[in-house]
Amino acid sequence: MIRLEDVAVRLGGFRLEQITIAVPPGGYGLVIGPTGSGKTTLLEAIAGHVPLEAGRVHLRGEDVSRTPPELRRVGFVYQQYLLFPHLTVGENIGYGIRNSEAGHRENRIRELAQMLGLVPLLGRGVNGLSGGEQQRVALARALAPRPSILLLDEPFAAVDPATRRVLRHQLRALHEREGVTTLQVTHDFEDAMRLGDVVAVLAQGRIAQAGAPEEVFRFPKSPFVAEFLGSGTVLRGRVERLTPESRGEGRFPGRFRSGALALEVVAEREGDVYAVLRPADLMVSRTPTAGPAPRNRFTARITQVERGSAVANIYLDVQGTALVAAVTTATSEELRLAAGEEISVAVKATAVHLI
Amino acid sequence: MALWFLAALLVLFVAGPLARLLLQASPASLGAAFRDRELFASIWLTALAATGATLLSLLLGVPLAYLLARVPFPGRRLVAGLVELPVVVPHPVAGIALLLFLGRQSAVGQALARVGLEVVNRVPGIVAGMLFVSAPIVVSAAREAFRAVDPRLERVARTLGDTGWHAFRRVTLPLAGRSVVAGAVLGWARSVSEFGSIVILTYNPKVASVLIYDRFTLFGLSAAVPAAVILLLLALVVFVVVQLLASDGAARR
Repeated sequence: MIRLEDVAVRLGGFRLEQITIAVPPGGYGLVIGPTGSGKTTLLEAIAGHVPLEAGRVHLRGEDVSRTPPELRRVGFVYQQYLLFPHLTVGENIGYGIRNSEAGHRENRIRELAQMLGLVPLLGRGVNGLSGGEQQRVALARALAPRPSILLLDEPFAAVDPATRRVLRHQLRALHEREGVTTLQVTHDFEDAMRLGDVVAVLAQGRIAQAGAPEEVFRFPKSPFVAEFLGSGTVLRGRVERLTPESRGEGRFPGRFRSGALALEVVAEREGDVYAVLRPADLMVSRTPTAGPAPRNRFTARITQVERGSAVANIYLDVQGTALVAAVTTATSEELRLAAGEEISVAVKATAVHLI
Repeated sequence: MALWFLAALLVLFVAGPLARLLLQASPASLGAAFRDRELFASIWLTALAATGATLLSLLLGVPLAYLLARVPFPGRRLVAGLVELPVVVPHPVAGIALLLFLGRQSAVGQALARVGLEVVNRVPGIVAGMLFVSAPIVVSAAREAFRAVDPRLERVARTLGDTGWHAFRRVTLPLAGRSVVAGAVLGWARSVSEFGSIVILTYNPKVASVLIYDRFTLFGLSAAVPAAVILLLLALVVFVVVQLLASDGAARR
């Protein structure tokens, strides 16, 4: 397992503070944050390359805050792979294997090479390998000494989308097979959704939010997290109570106003809030049909239709407020949605997430 | 056209005198030079002292170069500049400075004498003069070689179980080694060619450059030429070795 407690790191003019993350044994954690948010530095602090200014790093339940990197039993894959240029692919993979037992080294190299499709490359130098090949060699090299912890720095950043899909799949399979507790940093939320058990969003040197990926995505705790993850349209406005008689604890029906847009919501507090409207929660239809009561209905003008292979994003204008709805591409074609047309939009009061 | 003309002038200026010198020596005088015991003793002394100076500058200079390339410390730029300083100091000036610092009147010289190390007019004086002028070459070559190796390669090696020293020996040294060796060979050649500081520190025993100067002043040009030709041939061999090391290194990258 990996557990960071209130870790602070300073590197040049850059600072990480109050970093608390826990990845359970065998789990897959992701730290997601914009470029330059200190993600690589965080991994280097866990590996022991960067001294801690405060806090503790626990690996496998033991405090390694002052342990040198070579004793932390951590595999590290940098974004730039950093293969040893003076060694062959096989020598790179075998670099960290200490067991001198006859044949052990060769078997382990071969085993990993087979899993990652590197067998034909074993005798070659590392110059001239493709990005995906270098990535797999770096991964095999990190896993060869059987570390219990694997740290991955943007492992898919420099490969094309097709290779990325294959690598993601291989990584997940390797993770399950080797049972290695993994922490990956990425700026791509897609990685977090597909791979992670735990995700932490890093912003300006601190953890803005942590939890299960689906939960963080659906219930962002700050406008930054919502916007960075693309949870939905973030609107700034005010909430007022609709039922003054039921004053007290807990949630209450309210009205959220942002510009000309008014939505019925289920709120926890009055006053200034942010509302997050997830594209999938906006239901669009040609004609306003009668439905169950607590639905907000309004007419919107389509400003743009962006059709993907499975999902189409419908950009809407509601009395000057921009919203995005998502429907299946099939639905968007069926309804013949096109820019300039007016459609009816409905959203449940419970689907409006308030921050 | 003017470009080619100007460039050709300088090439001629460098190559002309060297070619002229090689042609000047008659086969008979060269034959005599090859049997000249004093000349070969001085070349042998020069090579040995240069080797000593080079080994010393590697022993002390490689750690310094590594620190300068990798570890930010207060006054790093000052130290880097200081090490380069001998390049701009006129060599007789360096000789006088060394004489004052290491001579029998100085505290350092007296301390060295107490452990049996006499510098002035002894072989250690030759090594000291050579070290002073060649160390900047070795240090700057090694520093640039270490700078060219991504420091994160060592970090990767550390997470793979290497101690700091092992990571240096298994990763950085093999990658930087060729350039360090090329720098050392250049430093050795610079040591062999040193005259100005050595002539002040240790006139006798004579290194090759001092011997050539000595013969020129005592017996004239014709006595100095054969020895000069042999020293020039030696320098050309070293030059070819450095070129081979450099081009092979470039081909590997």
